[in-house]
Amino acid sequence: MDIWKTFPGVVANAGVELAVRRGSIHALLGENGAGKSTLMNILAGVYRPDSGEVRIDSLPHQFRNPADALSAGVGMVHQEFRLIPSFSVAENIVLGSAPSVINNRHVESDVAEMAHKYGLKVDPGQPLWQLSMGERQKVEILKVLWRDAQVLILDEPTTVLTPSEVDELAEILRRMADDGRSIIFISHKLHEVSGICDEATVLRQGKTVAGSLEMAITDRNELARLMVGASPTVPVRPAAATPGKPLLELQNLSATGDRGVDAFSDVSFRIHSGEIVGIAGVAGNGQRELADVIAGLRPSNSGTVFMDGADITAVSPRRRFHSGLAYIPEDRLGVGLAPRLSITDNAILRVYRQQRRGPFIVAEKALSYCTDIVDRFGVRAGDLGGPIAALSGGNLQRLLVGRELDGKPSVVVASQPTRGLDVQGVKAIQDLLLDQRNSGAAVMMISEDLDELLTLTDRLLVMEGGIIRGEFDPRTASRHEIGMAMLSDSQATPQS
Amino acid sequence: MNEASLIGLLFATVSFGALLYLAALGELLAEKAGVLNLGVEGMMAIGAVTAFIAGVEFQNPWVALIIAMLSGALLASVHGFFTVGLGAEQVVSGLSLTILGLGLAAYIGKDYVGLPPGAELVPVEWGSLSDLPWVGPILFSQAPIVYLALLLGVAASLVLSSTRLGLALRAAGESASSTDSAGHSVLGLRLSAVAAGGALAGASGAYLTLSITPQWAEGVTAGRGWIAVALVIFGAWRPGRVAWGALLFGGTLALKTRLQTFGVDFSPIILSMLPYVLTLLILLMISIRSRKRPSPSPAALGLAYRREER
Amino acid sequence: MKRPRLSLREQPLPGGQPLAFGIGLAIALFVGTLLLLGAGHDPLRIYSRMFEASLGDPDAWAITLNRAVPLGLAGLAVAIAGSMGLWNIGAEGQIMAGAIAAAWVARIGGDWPGFVLITMMLVAAVGGGGVLAIGPAVARAKLGVNEIITTLMLNEVAIRLVQWLIHGPWKDPDSFNFPLAPMLPDQARLPTLFSRAHFGLLIAVAVVIIASVAVRYTGWGYELRIAGSSESTARYSGISLPKKVLTVLVLSGAVAGLAGGVELAGTADRLTETLSNGFGFAGIIVAALALMRPSGVAAVALLFGAVQIGGQSIQTLGVSSSVSTILQAFVLFGAIGAGVFSRYHISLDSGPSSAPEEAKS
Repeated sequence: MDIWKTFPGVVANAGVELAVRRGSIHALLGENGAGKSTLMNILAGVYRPDSGEVRIDSLPHQFRNPADALSAGVGMVHQEFRLIPSFSVAENIVLGSAPSVINNRHVESDVAEMAHKYGLKVDPGQPLWQLSMGERQKVEILKVLWRDAQVLILDEPTTVLTPSEVDELAEILRRMADDGRSIIFISHKLHEVSGICDEATVLRQGKTVAGSLEMAITDRNELARLMVGASPTVPVRPAAATPGKPLLELQNLSATGDRGVDAFSDVSFRIHSGEIVGIAGVAGNGQRELADVIAGLRPSNSGTVFMDGADITAVSPRRRFHSGLAYIPEDRLGVGLAPRLSITDNAILRVYRQQRRGPFIVAEKALSYCTDIVDRFGVRAGDLGGPIAALSGGNLQRLLVGRELDGKPSVVVASQPTRGLDVQGVKAIQDLLLDQRNSGAAVMMISEDLDELLTLTDRLLVMEGGIIRGEFDPRTASRHEIGMAMLSDSQATPQS
Repeated sequence: MNEASLIGLLFATVSFGALLYLAALGELLAEKAGVLNLGVEGMMAIGAVTAFIAGVEFQNPWVALIIAMLSGALLASVHGFFTVGLGAEQVVSGLSLTILGLGLAAYIGKDYVGLPPGAELVPVEWGSLSDLPWVGPILFSQAPIVYLALLLGVAASLVLSSTRLGLALRAAGESASSTDSAGHSVLGLRLSAVAAGGALAGASGAYLTLSITPQWAEGVTAGRGWIAVALVIFGAWRPGRVAWGALLFGGTLALKTRLQTFGVDFSPIILSMLPYVLTLLILLMISIRSRKRPSPSPAALGLAYRREER
Repeated sequence: MKRPRLSLREQPLPGGQPLAFGIGLAIALFVGTLLLLGAGHDPLRIYSRMFEASLGDPDAWAITLNRAVPLGLAGLAVAIAGSMGLWNIGAEGQIMAGAIAAAWVARIGGDWPGFVLITMMLVAAVGGGGVLAIGPAVARAKLGVNEIITTLMLNEVAIRLVQWLIHGPWKDPDSFNFPLAPMLPDQARLPTLFSRAHFGLLIAVAVVIIASVAVRYTGWGYELRIAGSSESTARYSGISLPKKVLTVLVLSGAVAGLAGGVELAGTADRLTETLSNGFGFAGIIVAALALMRPSGVAAVALLFGAVQIGGQSIQTLGVSSSVSTILQAFVLFGAIGAGVFSRYHISLDSGPSSAPEEAKS
């Protein structure tokens, strides 16, 4: 058995250890932000570590770029595929390592042979754009195999797969491992990982908290606890409020995502006036699409959205806003704010129509509106006529949130509202959302930060794989329980 | 209409077709790699003038041709530097290149206006093949560059479909980041493609002044560079289809001056609109049909690639 | 291995685009000096003549302003489309279409009073340019067809349309076999303001002001700028993109058409094949140099006009027109390059970057 280790140290990973045995399938577990992808990107030559080393078969390596890593036998299948839709499967596989003269038929038969060996069912001549996400993933795997990678890294491969495709993948990985290759499987889906992987290493906040645990003998609950951890501070909860009537209601809502797969299905819940409902879960489980559909930016396949009793399923985003639905999107500078425009221009995004005298936007009105928002919401900005890109992340968010909340909405949809902010910024935004809730609004808060949700919310829903897996009372539910639900491992029944 | 004039018409069709094809093939290569080069007129003009001058000075058509191709490539590299190297807007750079090329050509050619040609690309003798009825005079009495154009077309087709270089080039035009990840140099591929495009446009210009209208005057390119740009789209970026399109458009060019001899009372000017109108229609058809399948244009065409974070 | 890399500056260099244009000009002058010396001319004499002829005295100003008018209107047309990220490459053809429409009105309204005639001509010109742009506009709005090629193709069609009209149905019977459109009736000429500068200057200035104000200060212009900045933000705020694309492209064509009408009634005395004279293409460059801002178009067009007129004037000194063309090209490339440098900076780097601070796994 050959062993190799890595000890890289980067800001995102502070002192990580990882040891993978040849011919094994090794799981790399951790929550979002734990540093799994960063670590693997270092191994694959995409990033450079600040310190530490990578050793393969006891030989140290320094990778300057992905090509280096590939020639040392390390290949990575990223979450975002690097494929060319108009090329055939074979062309995609061979790109970068083709011989000078390509005999298409030979290549195709070689590809077919290799695919067959590992149980990957692909048609080498088929154009890639016809393939589903799961099939494209097979092409990415073949790409790496084609370069004869001895170490394959897969970054959250099951997010784009249906359950039966996951089983297929397990089979394929087993064949590759039996062939003597080592596989690193980055994931948060504990139950899939436990079925597929031999060993697991758990990362949390950039550190290895447990290394090379044998899956066969380790308790799943123990793994969940390791991943989610105990929170260091005791949060201060807001006073319990009595919720009023339901202001937002979803009934059996389903929608398709950008990749053609179902983003979420059969989602139903209510949010009442004066309560904050949190949606917990690892990113990429349909939360973003859900928020988009509620705001009117994405069509739903089936189901209904009600706001204060009225069916708004087909209503335009503009009308929804003016009926009292505020949307704080995840993409601040790409969706919520226009990148090349000024601060004032962005501030009036929702209300510019009301600011006109005739066809003209009255500059004084716009400026005073903007100044008002800036003052009330504590946005630190210089020249309000200057470019929005000059604002720091925290101030961008304060502006965005301020603009949305200014209209005294009755429903607030906030998607990752405190992501990336510093301590004061986080508190500021959280306070704003609490204020809304206390004034009687219905607030829906999507966040990857479980601590935040546990502190702020009145009810907590867990969303995984596009389905609401369970509802918890954040005051009484155990982190462990919630963690299990997020990791698609829960049989928990809804609690209320 | 008699046989002789029909043969003459078809001869000119093939001849003009080759002229357009050379320039279009060059633009096809550049666009396949993702770079739009609207400077074809300028590159053709440079090729035309340098070929003529070299012909006068060196009396050897082949030397002249090579010099023309080098000049075209050199001019194209200016565009390549700004767009691929610096990431500037391809549309603006290409148009500026047209202005530069036309101006430069007029400048360096001014002492050569009206001079008799020093070298000509004489039609190739194919022996008995040239004596075949119809086919002989039409296909087997053309200047050597026509056959060169055909060869280049076949070569380009093969390279694009069946070589490592061709695959990488096409990839650069579809997705620069995927190509980069696969280990190819997007910069190198695109710059080479642009230069090759310039060389071919230069060859096209050389064909003009070394064979079709063997003299130099400003404006000898007469807008054919724009037809070449249209041709690439008309042929859906495929060398074979572009060749057929080149024949078709070449035919309209040939027909323009010959309509009267055929007794046809149709305005040659309206006829000359045909290539552009046809291209428009084809483009619309492609778009309507490609609702489900991806469009044939290179996905990354016109987009600058800057590897900011790796 | 060290290799140069471009990365976005946090703040564009101070002075920004005007500085870039200035640098471009400086580079061009330098190269031009070399060219002139190479051709045996005295650069100082040439440059001073250029300046005299374009900006030296009121007469020179008049000619330069006349030239700046179509350049500015064409540039405006492109800039309007450009503020939304759309490329109108068809200004050349739209100018012609506008001129055709205006000329047609002049033909049928030869006996109308001057004011009415000219107004109707200009209205027709606006319509002509807009009509030519409808095809590409619809194709882009409904089918997503790239407007670069569609507008480009229609250029060639419009130019040939003019040729056909001049050689055929509109050929002046008094022109002795030489194909020429008839001269415009006297009332169809724009009145002059001073020296030879014609009324088109006021029209152009008015249109530029209206456009700048509209783009900067109206709700419509605001929506335009949002859509140009980020399509998703536009959708987020409820703007209908297809409608916007359609209106903007047709409007762009209309403004270019106006340029054709004004040029016909102002500078030219009849419809000619060379009426558009490269203004359409120059307009693209004017707009690009003005960073697609209508407010900048006027200044750039004036400078560009001066360069062109100056370039023409030195031909009498024995400098061929090609030199001025080359100079213009160098100004353009210089400005393009300087523009890139003002927004990006070059650094040498040695390998892959270190991992980002915020790790997302």
